[in-house]
Amino acid sequence: MRSKSRTLTILVIFTLVALTVAYVLPVYVVVTTSLKTPAEISQRHYLLLSTNLQFKNYAQAFKLVLPALLNSTIIAFSVTALCALLGGLGGYYLSRTRTPFSRIFFIFVGVAMYLPYQVILIPLVQLMAKTGLALTHFGLIGSNLILNIPFASVLMGTFFLGIPRELEEAAEVDGASKIHVFFRVISPVALPAYASVTIIIFTQVWNEFLLALILATRYTQTIQLKLTEIKGSFVALYNLQMAAALITLIVPMFFFLALSKYFIKGLLAGALKG
Amino acid sequence: MRLSLILTERRNSFTFLCPSLKTHSTQKGIVVGTSNRIETVQAKRRKYVRSKYTLPEFLVFKLPLLIFVGLLYGMLVWTIVVSFSNWQGTAPNFDFAGFKWYRLMVGLDRFQVDVANNLKWLSLGVIPTVILAIFIAYLLELGSFRKLESYIRTLILYPVAMSFIVTGTIWSWMFDPDKGVLNTILRGVGLGALQGRFDTNPSTATYWLILIFVWQYLGFAVIILQASLRTADIHEMTESALIDGASRLRILLQIIIPNIRSGILVLVSLLLISTLKVFDIVYIVTFGGPGSATDVLAFYMLIATFQQHLVSLGAGIGVIIFLLAAIIVVPYTIYAFRKWFE
Repeated sequence: MRSKSRTLTILVIFTLVALTVAYVLPVYVVVTTSLKTPAEISQRHYLLLSTNLQFKNYAQAFKLVLPALLNSTIIAFSVTALCALLGGLGGYYLSRTRTPFSRIFFIFVGVAMYLPYQVILIPLVQLMAKTGLALTHFGLIGSNLILNIPFASVLMGTFFLGIPRELEEAAEVDGASKIHVFFRVISPVALPAYASVTIIIFTQVWNEFLLALILATRYTQTIQLKLTEIKGSFVALYNLQMAAALITLIVPMFFFLALSKYFIKGLLAGALKG
Repeated sequence: MRLSLILTERRNSFTFLCPSLKTHSTQKGIVVGTSNRIETVQAKRRKYVRSKYTLPEFLVFKLPLLIFVGLLYGMLVWTIVVSFSNWQGTAPNFDFAGFKWYRLMVGLDRFQVDVANNLKWLSLGVIPTVILAIFIAYLLELGSFRKLESYIRTLILYPVAMSFIVTGTIWSWMFDPDKGVLNTILRGVGLGALQGRFDTNPSTATYWLILIFVWQYLGFAVIILQASLRTADIHEMTESALIDGASRLRILLQIIIPNIRSGILVLVSLLLISTLKVFDIVYIVTFGGPGSATDVLAFYMLIATFQQHLVSLGAGIGVIIFLLAAIIVVPYTIYAFRKWFE
């Protein structure tokens, strides 16, 4: 706009400062606290950066979380890969078929996408215990997969809707099967969509807590679970807690910062069309 | 090679679709499809060659999704069955108990506390977030600080990538009444009298937990409204309203908000669902305490099932959560469904 009134400028500056404080402060606090000794934390100079930086807090925290970090990596990567594959296939079906059944089915998938985990937790635990999957990583992989497939399908479906149908029609006229069309024509075009969906799903699975709390054993403990354990057992050692928290968030944060375009697209696709 | 040939053959219709695709990617990549483009796609759809699935196609495209969704609904039905049976203790017991556990549930003090807290979450987790988000999205859209836009977006959006467990751990430290960050700051600026007990004060603890939620979801709310503003393309309308001498507040209330009401609707639904499901924040920051002051349904469901071993009661609470969610989710899905198919 051409002329900016004074009140507007003041409002903008005020908002800017308020938001910066509200959103930088926690990060600042995490970083500074994680580099202190326990003594420095109890000495009430909490906000200043320590003169003697304790990088060994990170070494200690890293040693504590390493097994959990590996577990989370295995689980999140497996679930993400399977979700991309199966979600792509399901999403293609949802976006390209118009039958009475598919319309009703879409509503079921959409509702399943927002199903509160609590309402399926008891049968899920029974199922995982009966099949013995609960003892291995497959328990958490399977559970996360069941809960993320509807979401992945709807997300991929919304992206497929944006792909011009000329591409596949031409191939189908030539007699190619849908499977061929999907893998050779559609999927290569939809690579950015796959990037968005994998980032969103990966972040969700990495950050998932409820399933891990109920289903994880000592050997399949995820990083989120480990962080709550650290918070519970090192109550006063905020330096260690903060270091562990930082390690926990570093992976999704990398995706967010490095691939923010895909991240935001994924968020919006899930929100606006699904 | 065959593909490139097809593309040249069909170049006309393909480039016909291209302009809309271009705008799609240029406007910072967060524009959603305009109604125009959806109509174009619709028009093409009617000419679709073949919609029957052969057996291998059925196995590949439909079956996995059918199995997973079927499994989910199967488990939902199973939970409902459990809630009407008489399962307490570790051994499953499926004797029919009617509404026994529901009657017990309604009489529990803890259940009433939970419902009251859930109502606080539903209202205070959603309304302030939406109002703040409208305000910020509008300020960003006024164009006064376009250059700062990507800064602001990264600034307030980064918590979206964090788990509630991480945020909860960080905010526990902020809230710590003795040494914590917020009280230290208050003392530091000479407002020591305002020092709070935050999440350790039973009567206000829930509000501080909700604050964490609002902090975490604000950025998400802003980008949804921004995308909605872009699709509505209100720029010209506001320009001419400004020339007519309308105040910016009036423009916000009479032009902006009516034009993004579908975006607001989507946002409100999503936030309602998220606040209903909130459990991680409560678990990590207060564990439902002090006492059961910050308890919510989603948290008590776990306690009832896995700590008190009243499995049927837990299932019943799960069903209640599901019914509450369904009130929001079902209309929302039908709305999204219309957007897809019409």
